[in-house]
Amino acid sequence: MTPWMALCIVVPLGGAAVSLALHGRLLAQRVIGVAAVATTVALALAVLVQVDHDGRISADLGGWPVPIGITLVADRLSALMLVIGTVMLFAVLVYALGQRAQDERSPWYVPVYLVLTAGVCQAFLAGDLFNLFVSFEVLLMSSYVLVTLEGNDRQIRAGITYVVINVIESTLLLLAVALVFAATGTLNLAELPRRLAELPAGVALGLNLLLLLAFGLKAAVFPLFSWLPDSYPAAPSPVTAVFAGLLTKVGVYAIIRTQTQLFPGELRTLLMVVAGLTMVVGVLGAIAQSDMKRILSFHIVSQIGYMVMGLAIGGVAAIAATIFFVLHQIPTKTSLFLVEGIVERETGTSSTTGGAAGMARRSGPLALLFLLPALSLAGIPPLSGFVGKVALVESGFARDAWVVTAVALGVSLLTLVSMVKIWSGVFWGDVPGRTAATDGTLGTDAAEGRDDRDGERPVAGVLRRHPLMSAVTGGVVALTLAIALLAGPVYRYCERAARQLAVPAGQVGGPAAGEARGENP
Amino acid sequence: MIPLLLLHLLAAAACLLPGTRAGRRTFAVAAVPPAATFLWLLTVAGGVLDGTPLVADLTWVPQLGLTLQFRMDGFGLLMGLLVSGIGTLVMAYSLSYFRPHGDHPPRDDRAPDETARLAGLLVAFAGAMLGLVLSDGFFTLFLFWELTSVTSYLLIGIDDRAAAARAAAQRAFLVTGAGGLALLGGLVLLGQRSGTTTLSGLVADPPSGTLVTVALVLVLTGAFAKSAQFPLHFWLPGAMAAPTPVSAYLHSATMVKAGIVLVARLAPVFADVGPWRALVVVCGGASLLVGGARALREQDAKLALAHGTVSQLGLIMILVGLGTPATTYAGVAVLTAHALFKASLFLTIGVVDHEAGTRDLRRLRGLGRRLPVLAAVGLTAGASMAAIPPTLGFVAKESGIAALEDTGIGMLGPAALVLVVVGSVLTVAYTLRTVGGLFGRDVPAGDDGPAPIDPAAVHRPSVAFVAAPALLAALSLAGGLAAAPVGAWLAEVAGSLTPAAAEGYLTLWPGLHLALGLSAAAWVLGAALAEVVRRRERGDEPAPTVAIRAYAAGYDGLLRGSRRLTAVTQSGSLPAYLTVVLTTLVIALGAAWLRGTGPVDDVPWAESWLQVLAAVVTGGLALAMVRARRRFTAALLLGGSGYGLALVFLLHGAPDLAITQFLIDTLSIVLFLLVMARLPDRFRAPPSWVPDGLRLGLAVLVGVAVAGFSLAASAARSEPSVGDEYVLRSEPEAGGRNVVNVTIVDFRGFDTLGEITVLGVAAVGVVNLVTAARRRQRRDGATGPGTGDGDDGGRTDAGAPTAAEGAS
Repeated sequence: MTPWMALCIVVPLGGAAVSLALHGRLLAQRVIGVAAVATTVALALAVLVQVDHDGRISADLGGWPVPIGITLVADRLSALMLVIGTVMLFAVLVYALGQRAQDERSPWYVPVYLVLTAGVCQAFLAGDLFNLFVSFEVLLMSSYVLVTLEGNDRQIRAGITYVVINVIESTLLLLAVALVFAATGTLNLAELPRRLAELPAGVALGLNLLLLLAFGLKAAVFPLFSWLPDSYPAAPSPVTAVFAGLLTKVGVYAIIRTQTQLFPGELRTLLMVVAGLTMVVGVLGAIAQSDMKRILSFHIVSQIGYMVMGLAIGGVAAIAATIFFVLHQIPTKTSLFLVEGIVERETGTSSTTGGAAGMARRSGPLALLFLLPALSLAGIPPLSGFVGKVALVESGFARDAWVVTAVALGVSLLTLVSMVKIWSGVFWGDVPGRTAATDGTLGTDAAEGRDDRDGERPVAGVLRRHPLMSAVTGGVVALTLAIALLAGPVYRYCERAARQLAVPAGQVGGPAAGEARGENP
Repeated sequence: MIPLLLLHLLAAAACLLPGTRAGRRTFAVAAVPPAATFLWLLTVAGGVLDGTPLVADLTWVPQLGLTLQFRMDGFGLLMGLLVSGIGTLVMAYSLSYFRPHGDHPPRDDRAPDETARLAGLLVAFAGAMLGLVLSDGFFTLFLFWELTSVTSYLLIGIDDRAAAARAAAQRAFLVTGAGGLALLGGLVLLGQRSGTTTLSGLVADPPSGTLVTVALVLVLTGAFAKSAQFPLHFWLPGAMAAPTPVSAYLHSATMVKAGIVLVARLAPVFADVGPWRALVVVCGGASLLVGGARALREQDAKLALAHGTVSQLGLIMILVGLGTPATTYAGVAVLTAHALFKASLFLTIGVVDHEAGTRDLRRLRGLGRRLPVLAAVGLTAGASMAAIPPTLGFVAKESGIAALEDTGIGMLGPAALVLVVVGSVLTVAYTLRTVGGLFGRDVPAGDDGPAPIDPAAVHRPSVAFVAAPALLAALSLAGGLAAAPVGAWLAEVAGSLTPAAAEGYLTLWPGLHLALGLSAAAWVLGAALAEVVRRRERGDEPAPTVAIRAYAAGYDGLLRGSRRLTAVTQSGSLPAYLTVVLTTLVIALGAAWLRGTGPVDDVPWAESWLQVLAAVVTGGLALAMVRARRRFTAALLLGGSGYGLALVFLLHGAPDLAITQFLIDTLSIVLFLLVMARLPDRFRAPPSWVPDGLRLGLAVLVGVAVAGFSLAASAARSEPSVGDEYVLRSEPEAGGRNVVNVTIVDFRGFDTLGEITVLGVAAVGVVNLVTAARRRQRRDGATGPGTGDGDDGGRTDAGAPTAAEGAS
């Protein structure tokens, strides 16, 4: 029993309450926000250490034993997700504070962001299907508020798509949870595998598909992805960064959890098809765009396909590859959006057809901060994306999944095509005569930029003008490099996590559950 | 080996440090790692050639076979010497090449930090290329292979303000990148079939089978793309957008040899497998002819040489790819000769370009007289290219022709011989045209062409500038004059590829054999062809090649196809997205039904007529709502349907639930009506191609499917529900008689905390939107849309019953 792991949820939630009470005092709110998320990161790391030592830890909330009360459970997968998730949330929070834009000055930003943090943590720790649903509600509701924080027309229009689709997702998830409960009489993830196995094949399949549908909608897999590229680019960049990096992966996490533990290996063919189509349609969508933010948004979809592919291939090796891929993808995708945020902040646009051209000329370091994660996304060695790709390809070939593996290789070329498009259009080329910024928020920066153009020398000051944003972006890119450099031990951890997922039955009479039962007479 | 690679990385980082103002002087830093490598290689050469390869390992991700494994044998030594030696010379040359001019601006005049960037990338490339030629592990090879592609991409696009340079860089990167993926697939397959992760292990114990054949074809594809072999050759001429030192180093002497290095290592063992030899002869032969023919038409001397490189690479590919000991040996010799003379020629053209301000063959005249030393250098290197004695090019090609005379591999041998001889004719012709055009003419080539240069205005290059090409040309000559010892040394090198190749030799006077006759025929016919071409010269720029146009069409097609597909998937219409989601739901539940959902005994249709009435009202209003055309009507009908549901709850004996439902529906209607004021009166009509009944049909299907599956799921339970436990424990343990209350606040209190949070955040969202609209109104007087409120209102409506239902 490790009740303190509930603090991962309680601390950000408490922080949200306190910062809400400090309405109107921006500085105090920010201090609370940063402190709360930093504490959560520390807690997450503690969970990771504990879990890797003990295998699996749990906490029965309210002192009610399984299956009466709600259980929080952390295994190696959830601990890993918890750490990478909170680290990203921390990075993006600091980045957003450095952005000094309209929406981050909102008195609601910090409280809602902290609730989002709590929701994400809860989703990774939920040991109970209904609690998982509640955590989705928490993180979704805060995400609704965050996408429309500025409240302008464009955001609200895109926000409607986002909100309506996610409300449908919640409804489907609720339906699935309710029917799982109706059919099995329990919601505890540890008890479900045994009871689900006793159900008639059709009922089990239907429940499986319902859960997959709900989580797949959140994760934006084919054919349920269309809402994502329509709504993400409209959100403010730091918000998009955390949505892109993290929220879709919460859906992926839930899919991994249900597909490996509740219904192991039942939908392999379906998942294989879904994976292939998600990859292809996503990447073709990216190629069709001529805006950095939109290209990156489509890549979220495409890369989800790789994760589903690993799941579809199945087996410990492929699941380990999937976990590694998710781990690589979260900071990589986040950092790309963070770079995009700086580009947009600096030029007022993220178009690849002019407006933002010549960024490499204006800031070599920024170009490097884009190039590294971009090449990683395309799977160029020795970056983390390459390790993930090789792991997936090796497991695919080893299990004779020829078609989907070949598709995955082809898609990584198309990924390269679109990354080259961004590089060519945004980082290469002549710095255009700078026009006045499109909205008032850019005022002072645009004035500074004008001197630099006259000097005909490259601007070293882009990063210096946005020190906090740059530092955070650099930090996240450094994290992706660290994942690549330490890929050996990291991958070993992923293998341990995958092996743990491969024995769903072990959870039932496992030490955690047994211990819990014994403790509460 | 690993410290040397790190040294390259370090030097690259030093050159690329932001704010470097050192300009071209950074090339002095960049020259250090290759020079150090060259010297180190010389010290270890003896031991390596005696048959004890140097090995180094560095573990990375051992579970995936990702380990850095290096192994330097004789061939690796030769390639390492070429890479580091030519690298050092190119860096030294660049110091002069990027020197700004006194009176007229040279072609490559760039800001200091750009020059520094170039130096940094060039030394990074040198490191990557060194790693490539020394790698033994599959992934080690692939890692450096891709790194050379990336650095090549950045170097070709170094003049990124020119759209042509960007396009050429992209083309080169994507073609080699595609080849890289084929290679990766092939290597993974080979690794899994052979159980080894090193080239040396693979060659020592070669696997076989269909998959191995597929893997080898994939590997060949990667090698062809990298070494610019037909039909993937077209990126190479475009790469000439890079500054000349880059072209000399990457795109003639080293990087384009990467594919050949890989083929050379595999061919002795795998040449017999499946289509290997046929592919090598067809693709290599086509490159040989296509490149040679095109080289005869280009007006830009550098471009002509680039097409010549495609042609020469085809020749080398045939020789090493056939994989017999004699051809392997000849291939190694030609490869060495080519690296020396082609780098020399490129650097020579760079000098001409720098001093005369152009490299257009139509404009150049009188340079032979004005720059005699440089002309001698160019002619020597050219002689080696055209295989004219007494150069290394000649002796190497002689050995190649001799090796092809009797290969013992059936009809492919003679076919290859014919291709090589025809290619040699073309080579002689384009060499005469290019080198002759650079130095030989005193009068301009055409009357109506671009204005010729004034030879007197051409600068004389410094000694340091000419040193690098001169040294390389001298080596080309010395290699021919000292054919026997050089040949013996190369035999030791080639022996590491296949032991029998160690018997190869080079000789300046082969005797009156067929090989010499064929060479002589090539000189004569080549000279004649050059004369024919000269007379028919129209002096115009040739049109883009077919391959370039095909690539452009393919790329545009990809863009067009993507746009078309995306227009379908991203219609931007929320109803369309919802249709997809709901259809998927119906299909999913239909599939479950087909699988067999078990018996549903005694369906509890109804307990009273009141229930039936409530159900009919709820359902009927819902159906009517789907048909509604006006928002106002729809909102009212939806609310009515909700009241009907509240009635159902009430009749089931759940008054608390009924009250919750009733209150929330009332609140929703109020919110809807508030929002409605800002929205159009009617819904937007669906597009005309949508069938009329679609919406209704889908709604009914979803209803039926969900209801049916709910019945099936409820009927499937065989174990007791935890709900029974709640009832049992509620009073004795939790001290509450109302089990629903106890569940909400105690058993599952944490869920309730979450739902309260959801409601709180929803309230924040509404307040934020309202105040945001007010802020904006104050700011610009425009009416802000309040449409977001409705959605948030709708959201709470789904959230609250949730808590209740979960507890029931």
